[in-house]
Amino acid sequence: MRVFIVDDEMLAREELKDLLAEFDQVEVVGEFSNGVECLKALPKHRPDVLFLDIEMPMISGLELASMIDPESAPDIVFVTAYDQFAIQAFEQNAVDYLLKPVQSVRLQQCLERLSQRSQQQAPAFERLVQDRCLTLIPCHQGASARLVRLDAFEYAYSDVAGVHLWDGQGQVHTHLTLKVLEDRTPMLRCHRQYLVLPQAIREIRQEDDGNAVVLTMSGQELPVSRRYFKALRDLFSIN
Amino acid sequence: MSPVMILLVSMAQQMSMFLVIAYLLSKTPLFLPLSNISARLPNGLIIYFIFSAFCILASLFGHTVNDAIANTRAVGAVLGGLLGGPFVGLAVGLTGGIHRFTLGGFTDVACAVSTTLEGLLGGLVHLWVRKQGHYESQLFSPKRALVVTFFAEMLQMALILLIARPFDQAWALVQQIALPMLLINSIGAAMFMMMIQDRRKLYNEFSSAGSDQALRLTERLVGVLGDRPDQASARRIADIIKEETQVAAVGITNETEVLAFVGLGDDHHKIGETITSEQTLQAIRENRVVFADGITTPYKCSHSHRCPLGSALVVPIRDADNTVIGTVKLYEGKRSLFQSINRSLGEGIGRIITEQLTISQHHEQKQLLSQAELKVARAQVNPHFLFNALNTINAVIKRSPETARSLVSDLSLFLRINLKRNQSVSTLAQELEHANAYLHIEQVRFADRLSIEQTVSDALLTQNLPTFTVQPLVENAIKHGTSQLLEGGQVRIYSRTEQGVAQLVVEDNAGRYSPTPGAESEGLGMNIVDTRLKHHFGSEFGLQVECEPERYTRVIVTLAGVPA
Repeated sequence: MRVFIVDDEMLAREELKDLLAEFDQVEVVGEFSNGVECLKALPKHRPDVLFLDIEMPMISGLELASMIDPESAPDIVFVTAYDQFAIQAFEQNAVDYLLKPVQSVRLQQCLERLSQRSQQQAPAFERLVQDRCLTLIPCHQGASARLVRLDAFEYAYSDVAGVHLWDGQGQVHTHLTLKVLEDRTPMLRCHRQYLVLPQAIREIRQEDDGNAVVLTMSGQELPVSRRYFKALRDLFSIN
Repeated sequence: MSPVMILLVSMAQQMSMFLVIAYLLSKTPLFLPLSNISARLPNGLIIYFIFSAFCILASLFGHTVNDAIANTRAVGAVLGGLLGGPFVGLAVGLTGGIHRFTLGGFTDVACAVSTTLEGLLGGLVHLWVRKQGHYESQLFSPKRALVVTFFAEMLQMALILLIARPFDQAWALVQQIALPMLLINSIGAAMFMMMIQDRRKLYNEFSSAGSDQALRLTERLVGVLGDRPDQASARRIADIIKEETQVAAVGITNETEVLAFVGLGDDHHKIGETITSEQTLQAIRENRVVFADGITTPYKCSHSHRCPLGSALVVPIRDADNTVIGTVKLYEGKRSLFQSINRSLGEGIGRIITEQLTISQHHEQKQLLSQAELKVARAQVNPHFLFNALNTINAVIKRSPETARSLVSDLSLFLRINLKRNQSVSTLAQELEHANAYLHIEQVRFADRLSIEQTVSDALLTQNLPTFTVQPLVENAIKHGTSQLLEGGQVRIYSRTEQGVAQLVVEDNAGRYSPTPGAESEGLGMNIVDTRLKHHFGSEFGLQVECEPERYTRVIVTLAGVPA
């Protein structure tokens, strides 16, 4: 079982690592002090379980959970000092939650529960986060990371280098997947590789060859696939 | 001496005699009804008898002039009307007139008619004054009596000329008697009225020896009041009011039922009964004083038609929100008059009770508030902090038992201060000790992500400020400030001087302060600190915040009155 530990406190990570070290089946493949770094490392390590602290700078544990692509989703265990509301919320939904200081016995139960879960089962946190709408998007440009309001962007697209967001003048990168953006933001899919924010659409134009394009406010042209055109057309009541 | 002068002197003598008699009468209770305007029959009868007697005596003692009588009858008729109203006036005039008629002479008809009309005139003026909505004291104006009598006598002269025959004789008579009668009667009426007015004043002043009484009443009531009256305290209040005002009965109700009733009629005004009295219901409904004076509006007991009570004053009692929570009722019997002094006393009592209730409610709320504030401030030990601290200690034990030990002692110190501090004021040194215990733990927890700097002038350490001021600010600086930074958090606590006044500043380098209204997470702690600072230093010395996004947030406590 490959796990990530995400906690902004070094001692808390150390403590959990010590506890996990007693279980042979567990291998800690990454530890991070914030959500941005975790998101960045996820595609590479593809861990089975995330131990997430809830109170963290910039992106809270709950937010981080909602930013993770459900398709590659690892199981999530929240680790918190005290958060009765959150506990109430994911009492039925989360795979598990642990209270700090974590007891070894309790951790063992948690790991047992994790290994009993069949791989096909949809991640349980799905229901927890499904209503959560992202308004701040973790972005990075070079080494610096920041949170940017979703409505600062016009569209998102993916290529081999990853997912990019266009803010009208330039582009930034994000570790969120298009799927997450599609599910958790008002962005609409217009192409397999493109999402567009409805209010950024200036024009939807049908070309002579039957293909359509979306023209954004800043004058960018986005391709529209046939299979998404109908949905777009219906949304804007174009006949 | 001319005949006119002789007549004048003679009439002045007559008038003097009457005024002396009136003065002596004014010392007797017989006079009392004259100084109170009341439509009640006994009152009217007394006025009728007194002034009819005056008219008759005036005719009898009149100065016979040329087969006619120069007299002061007009005074009786006019005053009878002025004080008793049109019916009494007419009756007095008629009685005086008929009596005069029986005395004969060539002016007998003219005099009878004019006297009747004089009485009626006085009564009509009475009616007019009341219709104008003037205070009833206006009826006792000597000036008005003078003017009315003057016109009444002019009327009489005119009637003599019109009715009495032969005209030559009548003309000669009027020439002789007009001046003395106009003069003496007008002045006499005015003096008579003055006497009544004096008597009335005396009576009222006597009553308002009541101011003394009012003070004593207040003092006694204040001792009893405090909370919403229940049956026991209502009974005590009612007893005091009855004792001090000497009214016939006193009742106290809440919004729905009678809480206490003492005095006349307590056989059928039962405690615990639902309110049925029309006046009380009106007072509660309309939130105002209702007065059934027993004259124009009688008090009708809703329980028994044989109830001896005839007038009532119902004063609403209000709580701090100005909603009616009950009434105080003062009653007088059917046979006695509701003294105006008791009316104002009664209204005053209502106000006293209302005010007392407001004060005690206010006091109670204030006390609750400050207790609650301290409690909340104490209870602000953030569970997050506590469990994170325990988790940190847990992690540190293996690696550095020494650090763990010092963490445990910091945590104990922090908790001890939180649990124990009951005084609302502490020195800055105590406040910093509290904040430092907290900071040491956070320092270990956040390790390299948090640095702390503290430079507070030693001179300020003995200054007082509200307990639980500094630690909540430091906690906020970390929780909403540096802990949101990925790295390089810094908290500085320092003193500075701003316009000659010392300030304590808690600064973080996150610059994330956003005064979102209703944001509870930041709000409660900061609000309490702010409120308590204002209580302590004055309303202009609340928390100040300076913020430059992503650079710093400074929360500033001004140590007012402390020279830097």
